[in-house]
Amino acid sequence: MTPLLEVANLNIFFPQASGESTVPVDDVSFTVAAGELVALVGESGCGKTLTGLALPRLLPRGAEMGARTVIRFRGTDLTSLSESELRTYRGRRIAMVFQDPMTSLNPVMRVGAQIAEAIHAHRKVSKRDARERVLALLTEVGIADPTSRIDAYPHQLSGGMRQRILIAMALAAEPDLLVADEPTTALDVTIQAQILELLDHLRATRKLAVLLITHDLGIVAGRADRVLVMYAGRIVESAKTARLFSHPAHPYTRGLFASIPRLDADTTRLTPIGGSVPRPADWPTGCRFHPRCGAAIAHCTTHRPPLEAAGPDQLAACWVTQGMTK
Amino acid sequence: MKSQRGWGILLLGLLVLLAVIGPWVAPDWHAMSDALTDALLPPSRAHWFGTDQLRRDVFARLAYGARVSLVVATIAVTVAAILGTMIGLAAGTAVGWIGATVQRCINVGLALPRVIVLLVVLAAVGLLSPVALGIILGGTGWPAVARLVRGEALRLREAPFVVAAHALGATPGRVVWREILPGTMPAVLVATTLGLADAILLEAGLSFIGVGVKAPIPSWGGMILEAREQLTNAPWLLIAPCLALGLATSAATLLGEALRTSLQPDTR
Amino acid sequence: MSRWMIRRIAEAVATTVVALLLLIVLLHLLPGDPLSALLGDRGADPAVRADLERCWSSHRNTWQSVTTYFGCLARGDLSYSLSKQEPVLQLIRERLGPTLLLGGLTLLIDFTIGLALGVWSALHPDTWRARLISATTIVGYTLPSFVVGMLLVWIFAIKLPWLPTGQLSEVTLPVDSGAWAVFADHIKHLILPLTAMVIATIAVPLRQQRTAAMTTAAAPWVLAARARGVRPFAVAWRHCWRPALTPIVTLLGLWVPMLVAGAVFVESVFSWPGMGSLLADATFARDVPVVVAAGFVVIVVVQIGSLLADALYHIVDPAQRST
Repeated sequence: MTPLLEVANLNIFFPQASGESTVPVDDVSFTVAAGELVALVGESGCGKTLTGLALPRLLPRGAEMGARTVIRFRGTDLTSLSESELRTYRGRRIAMVFQDPMTSLNPVMRVGAQIAEAIHAHRKVSKRDARERVLALLTEVGIADPTSRIDAYPHQLSGGMRQRILIAMALAAEPDLLVADEPTTALDVTIQAQILELLDHLRATRKLAVLLITHDLGIVAGRADRVLVMYAGRIVESAKTARLFSHPAHPYTRGLFASIPRLDADTTRLTPIGGSVPRPADWPTGCRFHPRCGAAIAHCTTHRPPLEAAGPDQLAACWVTQGMTK
Repeated sequence: MKSQRGWGILLLGLLVLLAVIGPWVAPDWHAMSDALTDALLPPSRAHWFGTDQLRRDVFARLAYGARVSLVVATIAVTVAAILGTMIGLAAGTAVGWIGATVQRCINVGLALPRVIVLLVVLAAVGLLSPVALGIILGGTGWPAVARLVRGEALRLREAPFVVAAHALGATPGRVVWREILPGTMPAVLVATTLGLADAILLEAGLSFIGVGVKAPIPSWGGMILEAREQLTNAPWLLIAPCLALGLATSAATLLGEALRTSLQPDTR
Repeated sequence: MSRWMIRRIAEAVATTVVALLLLIVLLHLLPGDPLSALLGDRGADPAVRADLERCWSSHRNTWQSVTTYFGCLARGDLSYSLSKQEPVLQLIRERLGPTLLLGGLTLLIDFTIGLALGVWSALHPDTWRARLISATTIVGYTLPSFVVGMLLVWIFAIKLPWLPTGQLSEVTLPVDSGAWAVFADHIKHLILPLTAMVIATIAVPLRQQRTAAMTTAAAPWVLAARARGVRPFAVAWRHCWRPALTPIVTLLGLWVPMLVAGAVFVESVFSWPGMGSLLADATFARDVPVVVAAGFVVIVVVQIGSLLADALYHIVDPAQRST
C-alpha cells in the first residue's frame, strides 16, 4: 500500500548573498500512512518546524527547496504544483495547527468567520450551510455553547479555547493529514492534556493522519505510532514508539531519555546532554552530533552516517550502533 | 542605521558651514550690482546660482537664508522642548486635578492646528525678526513634545527604580527631577531633532506666503516666493532654495530617525 | 448612540470652544490693538466700522473681549473683513466649498491609493516599483508642499503648457460653453493642486500602512490563513489589510495637521479660492477678524474629522467595541 505522504530527500536552504547558504533541513525522508500518528521530535532549531511548513509548501520568504526533494501526497508530487494548484491541497488535504493560539487567529475577525473561511475556500456552500458546519465543528472540538462562541473575537476566548478553534479550522475542509506544530507548548499543563486527548479522539473518529511536531518526548508516549527524532537538520532515528522508548538506538535519543525525569527508573540523577545545539551556520561535518556524543569515534567526525536498520521497525543514523568500532 | 546618522550629521554640518562661513565667502547678500544687465543672470562662475531681479547674488542670499532658517528653527525647537518638557512633566507626574487639567490643556493644544495658531498670531503682530519668529514657532510646537513627555513620565513613574527611590524616602520633587526627567530626555531629543525639520518647513512656508521673516532679510521661503514671479524667465532661481530646503529637512529627518533607533530601540 | 459617543461629542465641542477662547485671549494679550492699529489708516464704511467696534473691542479687558466675541458668534455675526470690507461669513461661505473639494479628494486618494500602495509595497519589497513609491514619499516628506506645487507648475504649466497655473476655472471661458466644457475646465484646474496636496500628505498614510502591513504580513495568522487554502486576494485583504487598518485610523491625528498646512500653502501657490488661501491672504493683510473666523471654521472641521475617525476606530477595532 502506498503511504498517504511520502517525503524524500527534503532539503531546505537559505541562499545567502555571499554565495554560501545555510541548510537548516538536510536530506530528510519519511512517510506517513493514512490514519497514522507520527511524531517528529527534536529540540528548537533542529529544523522540525520548517519540515512541517514544507509539506504544504509554506516556507518563509528566502527559503528554497532542493531539486531532488520529493513531497508526494497520494501519488502527486507537490513540488511540481503551481501556487493555485497547491491551494487546493492546503487545508483541504494537508491542514496545519500552529503553536501559538494567541497570534494564529486574526484579531479583527470573528472566529466563526475564520473557520467558515476554510470551508468556503474549498467548496461552494451557502452561508447558512457553512454556519451549520462551523457549529458542528465547534461542538466536535469540545467548545461548550458554540452558538455564543461562534461570533466571538479571539481576544474574548481563553488560550485553550483558541487552540480548539484552530483545530476546528484545520478540520473544516476535511483534510487527510493534520500537521500539528507544537500544538500544546503555549498552553497550561491541564489544557495541554485536553488538547492532546482531542487530537487522539479526532484521529480515531475521522481516520485522520497526524504529524505531531514537538520537542516533548513525554507527550509522544502512548499516542504516536511512530517517532522520528531530528537533530541539526537531519533525522537521526526513526522507530515504532514502543521500540524507541524501550531500546533507543541513537546516542542522541538515549541522551534525550536520560535528560527527562522518569518514575519507573531507579536513576536518581538526570544526565543532560553536554554542550548545546549548534546553529545551522556552523553545523559540524560528519555526524552532526559527534561533538556532543560520548561514543563518537574518529570516523564520525568526517563521514555522514546513513539511516540504517538498528532493530525491528527501527532505523538509526549512527556509525557506532551500526557496528563500527575504532 | 549607522550610515543614516552619518548622512544626517554630514548634511546638517554642511548647512551649518554654509550658514556660518557662506556670507563671508560670497558677496554680501544685499549688495546690488550697478549694472542693470546683472539682473536675472543664469548660474555662472561668478554667481553660482545666478542673480535675482534685484541683481543680488542668489548664493549669498542662500547662505544668509541658511543662517536665518537654522536660527529660527533652533530657537523654535529649543523653546518647544523646554515648554513641552515642563508641561508634559507636570501632566505626567502631578496628582489629582492638576495633572488632569494640564492633560486637558495638552489635548486642546494638540487639537489646534499649528498653522492656524501661527497665522492668527502673525496677523495680529505683523512681520517679525528671525528670533521673534523662532520663539512664536516654538510657542506653537510644544504640545507634541508635551504629549511625548507625559507618556514617558507615566511609564517611568511605574518603573522599578522610581518606585525604589520613593521607597528609599526621596522627596517627590527629587524623584521627578533626578529620576523621571532624565528618563524622558531621549524622547525629547528625538522629537526635537525631528521637530527641526517641521520648524524649517513652517518658517519657509510662512515666508513663502509673505508673513514670515521680514522681507529684505533673505529666507529660503521668501526666495521661493520671489522665484515664483520669475518662473517663466528665470526658473533657476527656484532650484537653489528648493534644494537647500530639501537637504535641510532630510538631514534633520535622517538624524532624528537614526537617533530614534539608537536611543529608543523599543519604539519603531 | 452609545454613551461613549455622547461623551466624545461633548469633548469635541468643549475642545473647540476652549480653543477659540484661547485664541481670543492670546490675541488680546499680544501687543497692539488689532482694530485701532489696522483700521486707523483704512477708510471704512461707517456700518462696517460700527460692527467691527461691536465685536472687536478697542479698549476692553480680556474678559470683555472674550464675551463680546462669543456674543457676536452666538448671533451668527462673524464681523467684517478689514481689507475687503465684506462680511466674513460671506467670504467663508464662498471659500469653504473649494477647500472641502480639494481636501476631500486628497483624503479620498490618500486613504485609498495611499493605503493600497502601502500594502502593495509591504508585500513586494525590494522591487523597483516599491523603491519608486518610497522615493516619492520621501520627496513628500522632505519637500514642503508649496515647493512641490511650484515644481509642478514649472513642469506642467510652463515647460509643458498642458495645464493652467492656478485658479478654479478659466476666466476667458465663453459664457455659453456646454456643461461638459465647464466640467473639463474645472478638472483641468484641479489636477495640479490636487497632485501637490496628495504628494504633500500621502507619505503619512502610505508609510504607516506599509509598516503596519509588513508587521501583519509576518503575523502567524496570515500563515495560518494561507495554510487553510484561503485565496491570495482574501489573505491580503482580510488578514493583512484589515488588521493593519486599526492603527491607521489613529493616524488621522497625524495626517490632518499636514492637510491643513498643505491647504494653506498649496492653495496659495495655485491661487485656489479656498479657506487656505483666504487665511494666507488675510494674514498677509493683517485682517484679524477673517483669520480668527476662518481659523475657527478650520478647527471645527478638524474636530468633526477626528470625531468621525474615533467613531470609525470604535467600529473597526473589536477590542475597543467590547470594552
